[in-house]
Amino acid sequence: MSLLVDRAIESAGLHVVLCARRAGSLSSIHLEQLRAADLLALGALADRVRSEEVGAEVRVYTDSPPEAGGAAIVLPAGDAELTGLELLREVAVARIAGPPAGRVRVDWTRCGLELAQVALGFGANELVGVISTKRGLPIAPGDLAGVGKKSRLLPAQVVKRNELAGYVRRAGREPVFVGAEGVWEAKDTVAALEEVP
Amino acid sequence: MTLEALSRKIQAGERLGFEDGVALFAHRDVMALGQLANEVRERLHGDRTYFNRNMRLEVTNVCVASCLFCSFAKLEEGAPGAHTMKLEEAWRELEARMDDPPAEIHIVNGLHPGLPFSYYEELLAGFKRIKPDVVLKCFTAVEIHFFARHYGMTYVEVLERLRRAGLDSLPGGGAEIFHPEVRQRIASDKATADEYLEVHRVAHRLGMRTNATMLYGHVETFEHRVDHLLRLRSLQDETGGLLAFIPLAFHPDGNGMKNLPAPTAIDALRTIAVSRLLLDNVAHVKAYWVSMTPEVAQIALRFGADDIDGTIVHETIYRAAGSRSPRGLTVAELVRLIQEAGRVPVERDTLYQVVREHPRAWVSEAALKVRERKANKHLEVL
Repeated sequence: MSLLVDRAIESAGLHVVLCARRAGSLSSIHLEQLRAADLLALGALADRVRSEEVGAEVRVYTDSPPEAGGAAIVLPAGDAELTGLELLREVAVARIAGPPAGRVRVDWTRCGLELAQVALGFGANELVGVISTKRGLPIAPGDLAGVGKKSRLLPAQVVKRNELAGYVRRAGREPVFVGAEGVWEAKDTVAALEEVP
Repeated sequence: MTLEALSRKIQAGERLGFEDGVALFAHRDVMALGQLANEVRERLHGDRTYFNRNMRLEVTNVCVASCLFCSFAKLEEGAPGAHTMKLEEAWRELEARMDDPPAEIHIVNGLHPGLPFSYYEELLAGFKRIKPDVVLKCFTAVEIHFFARHYGMTYVEVLERLRRAGLDSLPGGGAEIFHPEVRQRIASDKATADEYLEVHRVAHRLGMRTNATMLYGHVETFEHRVDHLLRLRSLQDETGGLLAFIPLAFHPDGNGMKNLPAPTAIDALRTIAVSRLLLDNVAHVKAYWVSMTPEVAQIALRFGADDIDGTIVHETIYRAAGSRSPRGLTVAELVRLIQEAGRVPVERDTLYQVVREHPRAWVSEAALKVRERKANKHLEVL
């Protein structure tokens, strides 16, 4: 985080919100300020809060959406049809006004990978979305036939995981994948190929 | 050098150098980069964000060049998917839109070896006959270079003949990446960087204003991008003829680099921001919505871009390379995109003269209440 970000937060008058967040004393007056804030300043504040509270790790859920229980906030919420900018504002507000060290999740299958990637700069720290085939169908066990080390073909999950890992890394963050098989660090394509059954 | 040091340099009016540009591209904090670029953008243009009523047309995709990144060109007439419009067909595209006519026609083509030069002259003259005040921004520097070679003329002769037929401005396409390490690999059989720049130099001397582009996100490095931007900055120092710079995101579908991933939204925003900071003598940086999707273009208006291009109507080059953006947008859609981004939409002509300034977005009380309710919901959790 740089002084520039601090300056952006300061000049947008949001430093007081940051202090209230740290002290656990956010009020509706602060929310008024968030509502009126410039998008980039809002993003800068949310990113600062994210950095202080949850660090650089991004959890990526690729099998089935985990329960949104506990402190998780999932965006876009419900059936909401948000524009890209609205989504970013919502993500930022969820980070700033949500629970401390909260899990702010973005469903990339609904908003697209591009926006999901940008949302990581606005306070999101989890990506969720079931990896499916190109036609949007769930990957069946039979889809893995004919792929693997010998054929040098990669199953769709591995390709998509690599793509997701690339998006997260290019946003300056560290992906950690969570699925039915547990938690694992993202690997590059060659290493991933070794995992193919 | 840190971003703070670079920021001080910018605020002191010092020019950024090669190493500064590379450091900006490599900086991890893209939000901070955006902040810096946005300050420059707002200093230059405030909230004003430009667009125009334009129409894209590609009259032929037959092309003797075999650029690795291109999904549009067909090597010869008669090949599957190859097309060359009859002049009447091209003119009909404008005639069909005369109830809401474009202010500008933007034409980019393949390098067709079999057409007479008169085809292009008649093409332009025909559009001017239909709508005398339409601005014709046609043929990239690569096409002008090809015409000069193919028809045995100088750049001046080509440009003067086309201007007599109605040409007003040149689009920026064909720049790709100037550095020979990259250009040799991806576009070895068309105009070199020096030839591209010379065409623009000549056009500027003749009194024309032109745009410039950069195709990013394939095999180039940050150093290649900075080299490219600095070459354009030098040209602009010399002539002052560039109106806008347009970074173009590489799209991999159906071309010789289809194994590469497309650049991400973060890369698009980073490139817009660094372009704004390095090109201190080019007035406008464009977020070309076709290349980066309208959603990311909207965000780019906070990362240094002050122009979102135009209505386009019928884009096919990016479409062939897998772009999921719509083929065209209406004026109302462009105005809404800009207003949603908190900017003031300004319809412009090709030379950035104001045609109409639209109002800033009006956010209804109901919308504000919804936003507040959502924020309060998060606070309740807290």
